[in-house]
Amino acid sequence: MVEALLSAEDVSKDFAFPRSVVDLLRRRHVTAVHALNGVSLDVRRGETLGIVGESGCGKSTLARCLVRLHDCDRGRVVFDGTDIATLRGAARRRFNARVQMIFQDPYSSLNPRMSVRQILSEALRVHRMRPAGEIDGRIAELLEMVRLPADAADRHPHAFSGGQRQRIGIARALAVEPEVLVADELVSALDVSVQAQVVNLLLELQDRLDLTIVFVAHDLRLVRHISHRVAVMYLGKVVEVAPTEALFTDPRHPYTQALLAAAPEIDPGRRSRRAGARGELPSPIDLPPGCLFHTRCPHAFDRCPRDVPELGPRGPGHAAACHLDAPAPRP
Amino acid sequence: MSHIPRRALSLPRPLLLGGAILLASTLVAAFPGAVAPYDPLAMDYVNLLAPPSAAHPFGTDNFGRDVLSRVLHAYTIDMQIALFATLFPFVFGTLVGAVVGYVGGTPEAVFGRVVDAVITFPFLVLVIAIVSVLGPGLGNMYIAIGVVGWVFYARIVAAEVKVQTRLDYADAGRAMGYTHARIVFRHLLPNAITPAVVYWMTDMALAILLGSSLGYLGLGAQPPAAEWGVQIADGKNFMATAWWISVFPGIAIVITGLGFSLLGDGLAEVLRGRR
Repeated sequence: MVEALLSAEDVSKDFAFPRSVVDLLRRRHVTAVHALNGVSLDVRRGETLGIVGESGCGKSTLARCLVRLHDCDRGRVVFDGTDIATLRGAARRRFNARVQMIFQDPYSSLNPRMSVRQILSEALRVHRMRPAGEIDGRIAELLEMVRLPADAADRHPHAFSGGQRQRIGIARALAVEPEVLVADELVSALDVSVQAQVVNLLLELQDRLDLTIVFVAHDLRLVRHISHRVAVMYLGKVVEVAPTEALFTDPRHPYTQALLAAAPEIDPGRRSRRAGARGELPSPIDLPPGCLFHTRCPHAFDRCPRDVPELGPRGPGHAAACHLDAPAPRP
Repeated sequence: MSHIPRRALSLPRPLLLGGAILLASTLVAAFPGAVAPYDPLAMDYVNLLAPPSAAHPFGTDNFGRDVLSRVLHAYTIDMQIALFATLFPFVFGTLVGAVVGYVGGTPEAVFGRVVDAVITFPFLVLVIAIVSVLGPGLGNMYIAIGVVGWVFYARIVAAEVKVQTRLDYADAGRAMGYTHARIVFRHLLPNAITPAVVYWMTDMALAILLGSSLGYLGLGAQPPAAEWGVQIADGKNFMATAWWISVFPGIAIVITGLGFSLLGDGLAEVLRGRR
């Protein structure tokens, strides 16, 4: 088995609401959104790991914990054998260069007052990637890599379309020659026609530069297209992780089954009106006890509200967190 | 071929007009002797309270001093007030606001209470109180305005930086491992400073008014110095018989204030357009 390059070990992250003086006086407990509730996940060198789940399941928070934009409250993120929370100064900057992030919103992820050249040369200079004389050459190389014209360097972000901006974001991340790219909803803000271009560019760059990619998305078809393995998240926990085809053809967790059943089907003969999960997503402020999914699960039984299920093996490289060994999809 | 660069033609009109007014004002402020026909302090006892005439276009005051020369010489003091009374608040307030808006948390809460405390007092009353304690004069007036004025800039910048901090490009900078100082001053501040610059222009106009008000009250520039507020105060007893003593400095205040306001509007247009 390939060793993990980047892994989350039982990572939790809460976002506390500010407490007022009245709350303090009444000794009211801190209320918090529990964005991540013990996520464990390995990212292997050279693979593309897809992370899917509904809005609000903690995908983006996990992505931000992986690059240390958030420090996790419990658990740890380990990169290349080191707990990233312990990194300081130069070691931390080195980590920042090795694990880069690409952001969701192409309109807010680039500084509107800096030209493409300024954005890229800043990254190159701060991390001392190239001597001053070679910076312009490297910028031209980076632009060529993400298929932007060379004259793009001296324009500002507002002169570009959404897809082009995402490619500038990719070029910025690649400037520091990272090993891992964490892409948070990379293309969800783009037109479908542009999505394919950007995704295929990412795959091509992965081949060329030996990148490890964590691809966070809610679009199942896209994730299936590009991932080697897929992790499914629900309410801040990984409920199932498996090689892509195994996950899509033989989902073992009731939530994964529901998620796949809910995806729109192009073939009308295979459309179904049946809902795989009932009810609404519970509030991440008051989490249900036991299995987080039991409030919506069609297979829930008496044990589910009591015990928290652990991720258990379901096949080669396949794990699911459910008390049922292999619940059959509901007829 | 036109000799005016094309970029200048595309600049908004308020910017050009305001800039022209202020450029002229600055020149007069720098070289008042070159344009003023008389010494602003020279008294002519033969021509007391003389109405506007060819020899004295703006008339003379109760000491026979030429009003035009005094209005022109006052540019030196009043343009200084516009700059000195606002420069420190702008720079210091912007720095404090940028840091507070970026850091958030307790410093932001403490800053919020300071803002509340300052805003509950009427600005003019607070400044008058401080000047009364320190003693009248221009230097103390700058100190008084500086002590209070930075708060407004800091509030504007803090709010704007806070908005920018939430945008992904700030996170992209952090993910790049950039220092906080680089993120705040190189990335966030250039995107957050526009409203503060525009407010600065308005504030310069307000500073001239404030300086004139304090001059009028005897707390700012001291007689016999030529300053518009002092001149208006000098003329207040002669309004019915010699209106020109007060009216012409008043017009100078209006024109200069207009120049700053127009420049502010124009700058706002240009800076926002670049986004």
